[in-house]
Amino acid sequence: MNSKKCVAMLLAGGQGSRLGVLTSKIAKPAVPYGGKYRIIDFPLSNCVNSGIDTVGILTQYKPLELNDYIGSGKPWDLDRSSGGVHILPPYQGQHGGNWYKGTANAIYQNLEFIERYNPEYVLILSGDHIYKMDYSKMINQHEETGAACTIAVLEVEPEEASRFGIMNTRDDGTIYEFEEKPANPKSNLASMGIYVFSWDKLKKYLTEDEADPESSNDFGKNVIPEMLAAGELMKVYRFNDYWKDVGTVDSLWEANLDLLNPKIDLNLSDHNWRIYSRTTGMPPQYISSTAKVENSLITDGCEVSGAIDYSVLFENVTVEKGASVEYSLVMPGAVIKKGAKVRYSIIAENVVVGEGAEIGTDPAVSGTKDWGITVIGAGLTVGKQASVGPKKMITENIGEGEKI
Amino acid sequence: MRASAVAGIVFANINDSLMKKLTAMRSMASVPFGARYRLIDFTLSNLVNAGVSSVGVIIKENYRSLMDHIGSGVYWDLDRKNGGIYLLPPFLTSGTKRYNGTLDALYGATDYIERCGADYIVLCNADTIANIDISAAVQSHIDKKADVTLAYHKGKAPRNNADIMFLNVGRNKKIDNIDFEIETNDSTAFYAGVAVISRDILLRLINEGYSSGALSFTRDVLACMTGKLKIYGFEHKEFIAVLDGTNAYYNANMALLDSNVRRQLFKADRPIFTKTRDDMPTRYGTKADVTNSIVADGCVINGTVKNSILFRGVTIEKDAVVENCILMQETVVSSGAAIDNVIADKNAVIGENMVLRGRSDRCVFVKKNQIL
Repeated sequence: MNSKKCVAMLLAGGQGSRLGVLTSKIAKPAVPYGGKYRIIDFPLSNCVNSGIDTVGILTQYKPLELNDYIGSGKPWDLDRSSGGVHILPPYQGQHGGNWYKGTANAIYQNLEFIERYNPEYVLILSGDHIYKMDYSKMINQHEETGAACTIAVLEVEPEEASRFGIMNTRDDGTIYEFEEKPANPKSNLASMGIYVFSWDKLKKYLTEDEADPESSNDFGKNVIPEMLAAGELMKVYRFNDYWKDVGTVDSLWEANLDLLNPKIDLNLSDHNWRIYSRTTGMPPQYISSTAKVENSLITDGCEVSGAIDYSVLFENVTVEKGASVEYSLVMPGAVIKKGAKVRYSIIAENVVVGEGAEIGTDPAVSGTKDWGITVIGAGLTVGKQASVGPKKMITENIGEGEKI
Repeated sequence: MRASAVAGIVFANINDSLMKKLTAMRSMASVPFGARYRLIDFTLSNLVNAGVSSVGVIIKENYRSLMDHIGSGVYWDLDRKNGGIYLLPPFLTSGTKRYNGTLDALYGATDYIERCGADYIVLCNADTIANIDISAAVQSHIDKKADVTLAYHKGKAPRNNADIMFLNVGRNKKIDNIDFEIETNDSTAFYAGVAVISRDILLRLINEGYSSGALSFTRDVLACMTGKLKIYGFEHKEFIAVLDGTNAYYNANMALLDSNVRRQLFKADRPIFTKTRDDMPTRYGTKADVTNSIVADGCVINGTVKNSILFRGVTIEKDAVVENCILMQETVVSSGAAIDNVIADKNAVIGENMVLRGRSDRCVFVKKNQIL
């Protein structure tokens, strides 16, 4: 086996429970984003664009759709005879087996996989962020400083710092303390959940962590503090571009609409840093004579006869005549029937919104008290003339004329 | 039927000369069509959707863009260990010249036909846009114990193509006669560019025709065989366009604005596959006003677009007005420009406030990479 300079390990096993019905059947990294992508396209495309061609994807929760989506890795050029993409689910060994107990344990259970490539560095990634990042720059910095571990950080607003894992550093970027969601943060450098480890150090600390029965086997809670306590050299790598955690309904909605905001620098059409995705054989979109489309993103397979404003339509969506979609995400295969109104909502895959139904409300009209994004779960049907208020998470079909 | 019982042959340069502007830099097979396709996508998808896994593509000249498009064949699942896609360029042995007709072309592909191991060969013309059920055509060929089965369509026939066969379809779909110069009407049966032929018969016809100096496989060989071989028809009732000129090309694109045509061409159970480009979805700006148009991914639209076909990566700047146009990949229509009945080939730039008006039967043609 050829050795590799860097192997990436992508933690894709989380349920993403805060996304509610959107992850009831699929793992968070498989959640659709931006019209034709899935969240996992971002770390995978970043890897390929950064010259990393060996990626282990650690799956656990509802892996079927994610496995299908990754397939041989062809869409990301990760179908390689040396390296390439590998799906790594939990497994049974001679002495039994275990689910992945935590992020660190997931990597620990796959040390053998990394060992095969005998890398110098291991890059740990997660599958819940939207960002474009050149990991090779971070690896270069790691190499130059001779650190045992380098952690990518982002400057956040001081008032938001207590929502993140915060790195307290000296002027040269050396980390002297890590605080998980501190009440009184000393710095505003938030961990992005992206780590570069020197392989020998990672192996040592994961093995020690596994031997500690008290540990919850988590990078943030256990491994990083242990390494700091042991006096290892740990550095931050500063990142200044667009980065968004899409762990909640609101942040997923926002991150999609960010694509429509000219003031936000998230260009997915950069030919030098493409975001790759698996596409299906859909014909081009058709915008009919009765359609009105503004400030929106629309992709292959869509048939639009209604009014679309400030929205993202995913593959194969139909919006019939007289229907309107505003400030919403309509995911693959959904149908918005005649005269229906969809506002400030996420309509999941293959939902049918019946004629004249109304989903969600505009906060400027209904007021911001108890307002929020409404979500209709995948495959559901909303009956004719039904209405669904703001901030609802719908998990069952809605009958004709029903009001929720 | 075993997996390799049927193989396909595609004539990639067929009738190039009828569409000189569009084929100046490319083969008929790689002419862009319908916002995100090349003509060969229809033929290859039809074959693959019928379970065909070995396809020989006969290429003659100007085939760089076609090779770039096809690559390893992965987009049609034709990157195979057994079978897959074979590009068949002309042999240039001493004393021979590049072939002049479909018979010459087939003669050059004899090796492929002998080695592909198939019992039936499906000959396909790359100038034909249709979603033809080749699987049903092959089944009909087998059921009728036919030697040759010709797909046909009843409708308004392409008249600029002197080589198009008009079929006299008799009882039980037997073809009694094949003509070239007849009075046509709106329901004339004409060849739909797909023929199923039993392999041994095809090899025999190629050898006999070649020895007798024939040029065209259809005109000089098949048309003379109606009494001697069992030739049957297979009717394709849905949309078809056989491109016999720039007007036919324009009309075939515009036909996609009809939902019935789209339904007949793009089917969930027989999709049309093409090379993907990883564009982001199309962005519509605040000033976008798009109606009755087909749009591919990767466009940025801030102007007015009506009754038009926009390929991938087209930019329509603010206050530009585009009507009845076909704009190929990466065309830029600058702000204030007004264009009507224009076909713009790849990477064309229409300058600010420029006005270009053609007629639906005589479009203004903007060449590849041209900057106006």
